[in-house]
Amino acid sequence: MNVLTFKKKFNLLHKVELMAVPMWRTVARKVTWQGVSIGLLTTVSAVASMDAAALPLFARQTGQNCQACHAGGKFPELTPYGRMFKLTGYTLGKRQLIPIAATLSFSSTSAPSASGAPGGAQNGGTGTQANGTPTFDKASLFAGGKLTDSIGAMAQYTFNNYSGSDDNHQAGRIYSNNADIRYAKHIINDQMDLVWGIDVNNNPGFEDVWNSSGVYGYGVVPGAVGTGSAVLPMLLSQQLGQSVVGAGAYAYWNKTLYVDLAGYRTGDGVFSFMTHNYNGQQTYIQGTNPYVRVALTHDWGASNAMIGYTYLDANVYESGAPMSGGGNYGNVGGPVDEHRDNMVDFQYQYLSDPHVVTVEMEDANEQVLYGGGGATDTSNAFQAKASYTFEAHYGTALSYFNVTNSSNNVTATNPGGTLSNGAGAFQTADLGSEGWTPEIFFMPVRNVRIGLQYTLFSRDNGTTLNASQNDTTFLYAWTAF
Amino acid sequence: MNKAILSVVLGAALLATGCSNFKSDTESTRDLNDPSVSGRTLAEQVCAICHGVDGNSKNPVFPRLAGQQPAYLTEQLKAFRSHDRSDVLGYKYMWGIARNLTNKQIDELAQYYKGQTAIPGQAKETALVAQGDAIFHHGVEATSVPACASCHGPQGHGHDGFPRLASQHEDYILKQLSVFKHTNDRYAGMGAMMSPVAYNLSGPQARAVAAYLSAQR
Repeated sequence: MNVLTFKKKFNLLHKVELMAVPMWRTVARKVTWQGVSIGLLTTVSAVASMDAAALPLFARQTGQNCQACHAGGKFPELTPYGRMFKLTGYTLGKRQLIPIAATLSFSSTSAPSASGAPGGAQNGGTGTQANGTPTFDKASLFAGGKLTDSIGAMAQYTFNNYSGSDDNHQAGRIYSNNADIRYAKHIINDQMDLVWGIDVNNNPGFEDVWNSSGVYGYGVVPGAVGTGSAVLPMLLSQQLGQSVVGAGAYAYWNKTLYVDLAGYRTGDGVFSFMTHNYNGQQTYIQGTNPYVRVALTHDWGASNAMIGYTYLDANVYESGAPMSGGGNYGNVGGPVDEHRDNMVDFQYQYLSDPHVVTVEMEDANEQVLYGGGGATDTSNAFQAKASYTFEAHYGTALSYFNVTNSSNNVTATNPGGTLSNGAGAFQTADLGSEGWTPEIFFMPVRNVRIGLQYTLFSRDNGTTLNASQNDTTFLYAWTAF
Repeated sequence: MNKAILSVVLGAALLATGCSNFKSDTESTRDLNDPSVSGRTLAEQVCAICHGVDGNSKNPVFPRLAGQQPAYLTEQLKAFRSHDRSDVLGYKYMWGIARNLTNKQIDELAQYYKGQTAIPGQAKETALVAQGDAIFHHGVEATSVPACASCHGPQGHGHDGFPRLASQHEDYILKQLSVFKHTNDRYAGMGAMMSPVAYNLSGPQARAVAAYLSAQR
């Protein structure tokens, strides 16, 4: 059935979007500062009505709908066009005089366990949100976009309302989030189509355009539940995010072969503006640590697919901070744990109108070789997600994760004399987890998304016993403007 | 020390490349707000991402532009720029692209695509294509649908403001017929002519015509 044959007469959302410009102009003339305090609902409504007049940064720059770059208009999944936008250094479009945008996210998390959400990577710790209480999670400020014909950036600063606790009270903090600066060229002639570029970023995997790394991995919505207690490989855990800075070069040849080589170092000194971590802690790594990414891509008809491989070898100081009395980073001399990550990933996309499907899978393995004495650990993580959107307004997604961790017989309290500084560094018990997350979401206008996720744990803390106690309902509202 | 050197080198490299590019590199820029950029550069650096370098897009969401009539393409780009064309995908993808195009750039883009060679799709159902062939060349008398060929040419290559339809994606033709049939989103200019035609064309007839055209060279 051709859906378009009936949708236009009844597609009020389309008409609302077209009418948004004059509506907002009218509203803007009437807005007074007193109105600002009306409340959350009004704020979201107002932001929604700003749709066409005050779009997020890249949409303003290109003049296009979010749907051009994001599959079905839903972040973070990128379309081939969105990938090219990023690979060509965010330089497509019209340079903006004020190159900033912002996002806000609100949520309510409900879990039967008293501590609330089980504390995935995204929510910054265990029990940060009280059961069922509507909360304001995060606000992010984005800056960058097109700087010159060949240079562009995407830098994010975030206020996390639940980033930590001071004196037994939740404390919000502002910190530098993901940042990515690029120089890129696109060469087209009769023989080839080649995109190449140089990239500097502060989170291994953030430079990638297939969203397989932890940056855009499981439960990417701010405040989402994540994968429970499991210890994830670094490519998925983002442990190095906002702690390191990497420089690399990449090339995408004939829309078939993508190669990216980068080296990461501890981000301090001149790069410290990119590493103000949300919890004030910085992970220190030794020397230059390699990141390698290779992907094969193919597109046909409305479909496109990718199969890829990623390698990260990170030498992490166990102390996690400069040694006492040792002064700055250069004097760190404690044991170093080598985290060796290998990941295979796959993605398939069907981009049509009104149906859009994205299926992605990541299978990551990490070997940890502890520097203090030869003990090792492993973490294996499999994640998969299928998303569907209809008319870029309605959608559903189903995600699955299965993480297994080794259990080291050398415990933190009994290092056996072989690890010089291993306190808490290794996996003293299997913390693996497994579960599913079905989700439904609605995008009334392109820069607002309301969603409901339910995460079912079949295993957590390495056991199936009482795992379902961590089952969590997560209701969220997200907006960008 | 190494880090300091790395910082200086990277900073210098970025500054050097940045300074050298503050004026548009007119051969490889993706700047949609610089009138000095040629239509050819825009076609290669921007339009090609969806429509293909040679105008033969793969995804049927985006029309094939290879061999398209320049007068038609010019009118459409100007209609996107003025927002006179407002079908859903048109405004989502094309309003932004076209918003700052100059008339000169639009003319150059039209000539660029006229110079490309269209690659037809593969015909799937012989009976459907035969039905489409009959409708295209003779119309549907019972519902007063005129022969498409009378305006779009016997081979579907179009002329002047009448677009080339041969080799076009089947799905794209279907969607546009639906837009003409159910909306006024393409009513501006010559699009007004298509509303009564599309209105009298049934769903199966539209599918037959689209299947026929997509397989024509």
